[in-house]
Amino acid sequence: MIRAGIKRVFRLALRRRDRWEREVEDEIKLHLALRAEQLIAQGASPDDAYLEAVRKFGPLVESRARLIDAARHREQRMQRTEYVSDLRQDIGFALRSLRRQRTWTAVALLTFALGIGATTAVISVVSAVLLHLLPYPNADRIVYVAQEPTEGNTTGISVSITPLSQIVREWMRNAHSFETFETGQLVTKKLKTVGGDPSQVNVASIFPTFLSFTGQRVLRGRMFTQTDVVNGGHVVLLGETMWRTRFAASDSVFGKVVTLGDSTYQIIGVLPSTVQVPPYVPKAPDFWIPFDIRTEDLGLWNLVGRLRPGVTVAQAERELDSVYARSTNTGKVLFRARITTPSQRVNFRDSLIMLTGAVALVLLVACANVAHLLLARSASRQRELAIRAALGAGRGRLLRQLLTECMLLTGVGAALGIAIGWAGLKGLVALRPGSLDSLQLARLDGTTLAIAIGVAVASGLLFGILGVLQSSRSSTNDSLKASALSSSHSRRERRLRAGLVVSEMALSATLIVGAVMLVRSVVNLQRSDLGFTPHGLYAVTLPLDDYGFNTPAARGAFVAEFMRRAHDVPSVVSASLTGIQPGSRWFSVGRFEIEGEPRPPENKTDLVDINSVQPAFFATMKIPIKQGTVFTDTTLEGRQVIVNAGFARKHWPTGSAVGHRVRVAHSDSTPWYTIVGVAGEASTSGPMAESSAPLLYTPHDNNHTSDVMLVRTNSDARTLAPLLDIARTMGIRRPPPIESVEETMRGFLAGPRFIMLLLTAFTLLAVALAAIGLYGVMSHRVEQDTREIGIRVALGASGSRIGRTVITRGIGLTVAGVVLGLGGARWATKIVESQLHGVSPLDPVSFIVGALLLIAISVVACVVPMRRALSVDPMTAIRAD
Amino acid sequence: MLVSRLPVLKGTLDLLVLRALSWTPMHGFEIVEWLERAAAGSLDVEDSALYQAVYRLEERGLLQADWGVTENNRRARYYKISAAGRAHLRAETKNWVAYADTVTNILTVATNNPANSSAS
Repeated sequence: MIRAGIKRVFRLALRRRDRWEREVEDEIKLHLALRAEQLIAQGASPDDAYLEAVRKFGPLVESRARLIDAARHREQRMQRTEYVSDLRQDIGFALRSLRRQRTWTAVALLTFALGIGATTAVISVVSAVLLHLLPYPNADRIVYVAQEPTEGNTTGISVSITPLSQIVREWMRNAHSFETFETGQLVTKKLKTVGGDPSQVNVASIFPTFLSFTGQRVLRGRMFTQTDVVNGGHVVLLGETMWRTRFAASDSVFGKVVTLGDSTYQIIGVLPSTVQVPPYVPKAPDFWIPFDIRTEDLGLWNLVGRLRPGVTVAQAERELDSVYARSTNTGKVLFRARITTPSQRVNFRDSLIMLTGAVALVLLVACANVAHLLLARSASRQRELAIRAALGAGRGRLLRQLLTECMLLTGVGAALGIAIGWAGLKGLVALRPGSLDSLQLARLDGTTLAIAIGVAVASGLLFGILGVLQSSRSSTNDSLKASALSSSHSRRERRLRAGLVVSEMALSATLIVGAVMLVRSVVNLQRSDLGFTPHGLYAVTLPLDDYGFNTPAARGAFVAEFMRRAHDVPSVVSASLTGIQPGSRWFSVGRFEIEGEPRPPENKTDLVDINSVQPAFFATMKIPIKQGTVFTDTTLEGRQVIVNAGFARKHWPTGSAVGHRVRVAHSDSTPWYTIVGVAGEASTSGPMAESSAPLLYTPHDNNHTSDVMLVRTNSDARTLAPLLDIARTMGIRRPPPIESVEETMRGFLAGPRFIMLLLTAFTLLAVALAAIGLYGVMSHRVEQDTREIGIRVALGASGSRIGRTVITRGIGLTVAGVVLGLGGARWATKIVESQLHGVSPLDPVSFIVGALLLIAISVVACVVPMRRALSVDPMTAIRAD
Repeated sequence: MLVSRLPVLKGTLDLLVLRALSWTPMHGFEIVEWLERAAAGSLDVEDSALYQAVYRLEERGLLQADWGVTENNRRARYYKISAAGRAHLRAETKNWVAYADTVTNILTVATNNPANSSAS
């Protein structure tokens, strides 16, 4: 209820009620008067006549109240009807006028839709990848726990090591910073029984506490317990999908026994398919078995934990280290705890943050453009509005009508935006590089969508209203009298619109510089000299351990025979065994020492890149030997080593490295290795790695559980198929497919290229919008200046002079924007710095190319307005008003 | 005149008002006068009831109202029948006549009913 006093302040409602009352009273009064007159005319006395009139009317007070009530009802209903019919009229009108200016409408809708769509798609991706990694309760307290060497990591990359099970057990027992530790391992095992064919299934091993960690419950049966683990852990839960498809969702399976790999397990329950192992693997496990930390190692799988509320990462790391130190006899911490949040582990984290910034800029440009379009429209409609005002349309009515138009436009634009956002997201997910696999979990982000639509609609309404206010400020009379094109406020409006174009250009300039930089960086990466020739190079993996070649002797015999037969394959030019294949790294952990140089401190631990290769490796890879020779003695006792040129140059800049001795020491008795050769610099671990840190090649030994044979061929991969046949006949029944090293290397570029393409796409979008904005402003200017141009032409100005004026004005706006934008870019490219390869964040080429591109595009945007200016007929222009 | 004044059946007043306005727009008192003339004083209607009917009709969109000036230069609210009102009047008149015929028929034929006649 609103108090009458307040109503009176606002007068409106009160006055309206007054009006109904007054009207009803007037009507009654007139009726009584006419009735009395009628009676008098029939001969009654005036007094009697009035009494009789009242009597005939009925109970006066009651009737009056009832009539007023009826009048109020009637009025309200009619207002509603009127409102609806007005609205319908407004929408109809808006549709007609939008349809009349088809190009304008299309551009406005496209601006809205692209702005909203691009923003939503990208931010949905970013939030999927960065923010919603682990869909567990209290995800903000979930961290990855690993260890890193205390010192001496000279590899230039951060190295984290999954802690050993004994350390994890100490932590689980004694570390109070954590509520719980969990691990999830996903392996493939062979399912043997339960009818149907034997098949490969995904088996996850988890702690009994894992289910409560995820905040979920079993679908059927029960979760395994610590007791199950102590009793040998031969229990299994089914994944929901497995239960429904293989076991027909039957409850009778519980208690039955399945054979996974070599062990049997009793089925005790079903887990819903929404339970995932960390790090959130999209592939749902078919079976869940207990992980026994007392007997099993985590291997390379992740250890995650949930911090207690209020515990910081630093506190937790300190506690883990002290628990670890107490558990060792020496109290020495060789590896310290390294805790990372899920978002820190994401590939391309910087790129994704940069893209978010970029789309925010695009959204700003889109908003500026919407503002433009609306201002231009309201300016060109001033006369129309004035005429309609003169014909009796109230200001409120006009405002409502323009707002309806605005709402209609923003509404349709937003709907299109959602569609584009959805399609864009699908596109991004489809185009994702392999290293951004978690992208497939991306869903359209509701909040982002709401914000993007909110911003776009708000800017639409704001400038829609601004336009109306501007037109209603000048009096109807003025607008009608003066030509709408030269009305008094046009200068202010002109300045506003010029400001909008300048800011659009500035934002675009920032984007364009960043995009040019990334393009250059990717080109650099593609062109970068890897130091070896990946073309024609293939890797054949031989999983020896899996097929029973378990001893060095057995492995040695196998690879010798395999190499011998491989050389008989006609398309094989050369072949060599290697411990790791190009694209990967392997490290030797210890203290790196060079004989004759001061010894590093006792507790120093280095991670040294190492690979064990056959002498033919260098020829097969096409890595030149710069000094010395390849191995002349491949036995262990020979202790020969070949080092990389970068390292050799750094340590022996003048002399030769050959003959010097190095070792990765574990103790004083670690033997020294003699450098016999220096190999050319080769980025075998991918084009982004560049390092003068040591890379040691040692002679290939037979201690690897899995060997890789590198093969160089002059023809294509298909001609290498006989190699797999040889592997099969020699007992490796299912050899993995042959991999192209060239493709592996290209794969490293997929991520950077994906990011570059996205940024380029956004930049093009922003530039296109800015160009449309500039075009709009310049056409408007030319339209406004038609008369002036006409006069100048009449006074003898040449066409080229007129044209130059238009272009100069347009370029002036662009240059102002570019200057601002380059300033912004100077600051913004710092964000991109980490993703640049061979390009400085102040790369002058990018700045100049960016500026020139933008100016060139502006010239194009000015061409049509310029043509229009040139086609002005002086006589028509001067006579126009 | 021996005919007593009849109370107006519910709903029929609306119809009568529409009929009145089907000739020409009128203000309230003109409608009252017209009705009195047409019924020759045989209908018993309070004037206020008629106004209520008019308001009701206006709310339903069957009438339209506007302020105008009478012959004697007085401000009065004039009512005009709308297209919807005309349609309504046509349909309802037909209904009313059919209804009245039926009722009249039953009431008059009923006197020839064997049961009644034997009793009389």
